[in-house]
Amino acid sequence: MLLNFDRLGWWKYVLVAVTIVTAAFLLLPILFIAALSFGSSQWLIFPPPGWTLQWYSQLFADPQWLASAWTSFRIASIVTVLSVLLGLVTSFGLVRGTFMFRDALKALFLTPMILPVVVLAVALYAFFLRMGLGGTLIGFVISHLVLALPFSILSISNALEGFDKSIEDAAVLCGASPLEAKIRVTLPAISHGLFSAAVFSFLTSWDEVVVAIFMASPTLQTLPVKVWATLRQDLTPVIAAASSLLILLTITLMALVAIARKVLKS
Amino acid sequence: MSTYIDVASETATTSKAIRPTGFGEIIPALLFVGIFFIVPVVALLLRSVLEPVVGFGNYAELLGSATYLKIFANTFIVSGLVTAISLLIGFPVAWTLAIMPSRLASLIFAVLLLSMWTNLLARTYAWMVLLQRTGLINKMLMGMGLIDQPLPLVNNLTGVTIGMTYIMLPFIILPLYGVIKKIDPTVLQAAALCGANRWQCLTRVLLPLAARGMVAGALMVFVMSLGYYVTPSLLGGTANMMLAELIAQFVQSLVNWGMGGAAALVLLVVTLSLYAVQLRLFGVQNTGGR
Repeated sequence: MLLNFDRLGWWKYVLVAVTIVTAAFLLLPILFIAALSFGSSQWLIFPPPGWTLQWYSQLFADPQWLASAWTSFRIASIVTVLSVLLGLVTSFGLVRGTFMFRDALKALFLTPMILPVVVLAVALYAFFLRMGLGGTLIGFVISHLVLALPFSILSISNALEGFDKSIEDAAVLCGASPLEAKIRVTLPAISHGLFSAAVFSFLTSWDEVVVAIFMASPTLQTLPVKVWATLRQDLTPVIAAASSLLILLTITLMALVAIARKVLKS
Repeated sequence: MSTYIDVASETATTSKAIRPTGFGEIIPALLFVGIFFIVPVVALLLRSVLEPVVGFGNYAELLGSATYLKIFANTFIVSGLVTAISLLIGFPVAWTLAIMPSRLASLIFAVLLLSMWTNLLARTYAWMVLLQRTGLINKMLMGMGLIDQPLPLVNNLTGVTIGMTYIMLPFIILPLYGVIKKIDPTVLQAAALCGANRWQCLTRVLLPLAARGMVAGALMVFVMSLGYYVTPSLLGGTANMMLAELIAQFVQSLVNWGMGGAAALVLLVVTLSLYAVQLRLFGVQNTGGR
């Protein structure tokens, strides 16, 4: 009876009310940022006295904001490609391999997900200081790849586990080489896994703040680092504009994942 | 497939064992993770006992000073509060989602996922603006006549707790939803048939059945909160530092790698031991501490 929605009686209304209030609590701050980014008040008064695009034009007129967005985009793109390639090869080994400690090694690959990011950030900061990689594009790519790879391995492994290997074997029996069978039979079948690996790797890098704060140099910083640095000075609506763009990209990519899941799985 | 191999290996006991396959494919990733993850983390932790002098001096200083103990206390109190509030709000929401008509539920799921994947800084910024003295929350409370003076809601632990709870809610709702969805509704019907009223069904059947998931979800939120850096440092004041910020400060401003490493090890040990407990209770969970 407690698990039957229609037979909950008046409890139903309480539960639905709590749920809707909670959903609103989660959603409203995000909408609030979008509203602020178009608001004309510099003092972030809400509701704003008027609407304007000036914060966006300030954002796009500032070479520093543009440079950091471009840096973020470049790093996230490189990380995505490397993460999917490395994740794909590793997943084949992890899902189909028969070597010792396979489960322990898989757990090891996923550890960066559970480690407090600040520990990794500080550790890589020290490491890259010694290797001369601090503040470089390679340093950014490596550190973001450490965080993105677990997502990639997880998505691709899951897809590969759901794929029946005998179909690939059948292709080999029909005369395909093992590599050809993998590329022309297996890869299309697990494409939804590859796609989510790519999107989650991109978003992990694009949204990453903590490691990036330690990795950044005055000449090379990602968009979140620029937001972070600006936030420490004041709460200018330009940040609302930058945040809105960050959120817009996230929504676009998430919608793509939802569509791709439907298209690729059917 | 695997049973076939097992049978083959058992019948051919005299021949050599099957050659392991697939290890070559994980070598690149293993090298990468080894060099850029394990080595740096181990090196950082080693510095805690090697610098400035060999020994456990850093740990003695960390655990013996009132300043640092207060930071530990802050971290545990805020993480505990965030966990308790998230659980209190998250349970009814997860319960409703599990039994709600699916169309409305999928809409709310979309909100949960959106907020989970919305940039952390963007969400924290929203709360910095909402909670400031002239912010919307204070204005609304004053407009309703509940308060005369703006409440100090930001640059203190109140702000950190609000902001962190906001971030953690989806992380507790989703696993709880999974647990409640798995409970067999006939068990509750049986309890009702045996004469239990609604309240008894809730406290003596549903809650105990969901308890394991609640503990696991709570542990996960607690662990993630302990290591968060961005939200506490933006919404908390300098007087209310938390552990992650302490680590960053040792390294960035004080350039004290020994103390930084020691604080990192404390955080790591607490995180990994609680995670091990959670793993035994619940299996692998997808987390991400920022």
